[in-house]
Amino acid sequence: MTDTVLIVDDEESVRRTFQEWLTSAMPEAQVFAVADSESALKVANEHAVDLAVLDWNLGSGSDGLRLLEDLVEFRPDVVAILVTGFAHQATPLDALRMGVRDYIDKNQDLNRDTFVAAVRRQLDRIHPAKQQRELNRRLAAFREAVEKVLPIVQTSAAFNDPVPLPAAVKSLLRFVIRGTRAADGALIVRHTAADGTQSTTAYGSDGLVLPAPLVAFGNSLAASVISFQEPVALNDFDPKALGPMQLLPFEANRSCILAAPLRVASDTVVVVELFDKASPGFTDDDKRLIASAAEVGTDLLRQAVAERQTHQLLFDAVDAALHATAHLTDMPSASDTAPPPSVMARLKEGLAADSNATAPPDTTLRLVEAVRALAVRHGPSAVEHCVKVVNDLRKLLDEMTGTA
Amino acid sequence: MTSPLPNPTVFDDIFARLTPDSIFTDARATGDGIAVAVIDSGVERAVLEEKFRTAGTPIQHIEGAIFRPTGPPLPYTGHQSSPHGTTVADIVLTMAPRVKLYSADVFGPTGSCEVETVIAALHHAIDVWNVKVINLSLGVPEHKLQQVPRRQQLQRAIEEAYFRDVLVFAAAHNEHPLTRSYPAAFAPPLISVDKGLFDDPLHFAYKLTEQVEFQAHSRGYFGPFAREPATSWATPHLAGIAARILSLKPDLKPFEIKTILYWLFRSGNARV
Repeated sequence: MTDTVLIVDDEESVRRTFQEWLTSAMPEAQVFAVADSESALKVANEHAVDLAVLDWNLGSGSDGLRLLEDLVEFRPDVVAILVTGFAHQATPLDALRMGVRDYIDKNQDLNRDTFVAAVRRQLDRIHPAKQQRELNRRLAAFREAVEKVLPIVQTSAAFNDPVPLPAAVKSLLRFVIRGTRAADGALIVRHTAADGTQSTTAYGSDGLVLPAPLVAFGNSLAASVISFQEPVALNDFDPKALGPMQLLPFEANRSCILAAPLRVASDTVVVVELFDKASPGFTDDDKRLIASAAEVGTDLLRQAVAERQTHQLLFDAVDAALHATAHLTDMPSASDTAPPPSVMARLKEGLAADSNATAPPDTTLRLVEAVRALAVRHGPSAVEHCVKVVNDLRKLLDEMTGTA
Repeated sequence: MTSPLPNPTVFDDIFARLTPDSIFTDARATGDGIAVAVIDSGVERAVLEEKFRTAGTPIQHIEGAIFRPTGPPLPYTGHQSSPHGTTVADIVLTMAPRVKLYSADVFGPTGSCEVETVIAALHHAIDVWNVKVINLSLGVPEHKLQQVPRRQQLQRAIEEAYFRDVLVFAAAHNEHPLTRSYPAAFAPPLISVDKGLFDDPLHFAYKLTEQVEFQAHSRGYFGPFAREPATSWATPHLAGIAARILSLKPDLKPFEIKTILYWLFRSGNARV
């Protein structure tokens, strides 16, 4: 963190002396020395001045206090030391309000040591605030970068999703339902997040999410199946003998249930449940079939769930970062300029690494970026129109090629 | 299954006297004075206490703890992590209603049964609860014991139980053709149990296979899959039977119990 000091004095010898004292005592500081207000404002316009050492009398009817008023316009946080031969005549209250934090009397004890000590004292005082401003500036820049990249990453993730989870669920359930001749089925996914938060999601045989289970997982049929660590059938369905267990709505009123656990990941378990096979219910052959299907299904779901969770993890992290930086007040305004090339290159690399991607990485990124730019410039309705155009094109191509 | 000899020996005498009837019709063979740890998925205490109170055989207050791979155990809240443990505990209590039952919940929120958690529960059951019998119906799959040190740690914990005169009953894996389930595969220092169906839940069989020595009744009484034959339910049947035997002579050692079980099978099998 480099300190920037501006010395303004119309006397060249004084100006040069002050500059030499500072550059020799604080070689890491950036020191500018100018003769008048105009030059001072020019420096302030080009550099973030932390401390101004201002001569009270700058000649030509100008004074240091007036210059400070103008400097504050460029740099609201600037502090100043006023150098004067008439310190007793200064107006302390006004000066203090404008940022004057010290006076140096030309006629009393002005030497290299007292001057450097005064400058160093003020720089030390402003360091914490300066560090905070710098942090805010960097966070604001980070936030802006994230805001630009997030929609692209999210959309790219959709392109990369190799097997969407509902599709995987539907395929697996369709297979085991046909194989066992069950009437229906469901799949329950139990996930434990890194912070210990647990969630349970149930899917129907159509792959769609079922209403959130209200039963505590520990009291559920699925938890019992997981404890078994292998397929288990419930043909003698006596609700009175269920013990401390509660059925989920889609499990109630079933004549029989066959269930198998799938260990998809260390933090995710899945239970496949099949319902209502005609009498005499599920057999040992059905258990063997669902055990085999579970092994295949585990791989299928592992990919779908893991991909989804990886994406979700990224999105959660980005959301958390956005939330943490939401209070920043000096955030640069969002613009529709494209994200930095390095970020785009990294995304492209990620897309190219996925063998299941449905489109080339360049095409994917170009499309996503085009939609993002469209949204920024013309709003959501323009994107809606874009979606409609794409769908119309797909229909047209389907008709031309005879694709169902 | 004793073979009559022209001149009976003391063993014929023992076999003639040591029958299932001579043990199980003894009014003192209730499990009283014997502490049993159910290392499983927790126990729904109030439900079981109410069930046995209603049946006219009130049980002792169930205590327990919740175990994790690292750190001290958490307090037992009287609830299950899944219904499996409650079904297992119900079987133990059905067989030996007067045992003091401890619930060691080793079933994590993701449904995994980590080796370190089971080992922690084993140590706690032996050192803190001073149990005489441990029931392990939850197996640790073989793939979790690929690392030799982990397998050795589990083996050592089982051996420690043996040398502290604590009986460990472990469920063999059910029908999986490839997977061996631990610790049941550590058969010699413990009693491994396979499933079987018997007319009387007090009946069991000695049926030595590669790693499994005993078969016990494999249908439970209470819980979602209790009626489904499973080694998970067979194991607490034999653990409960052992607790009843121990209540007649609590200082029996694991190898003595194993021998008595074998002899009971020999003499009882002639009747069955």
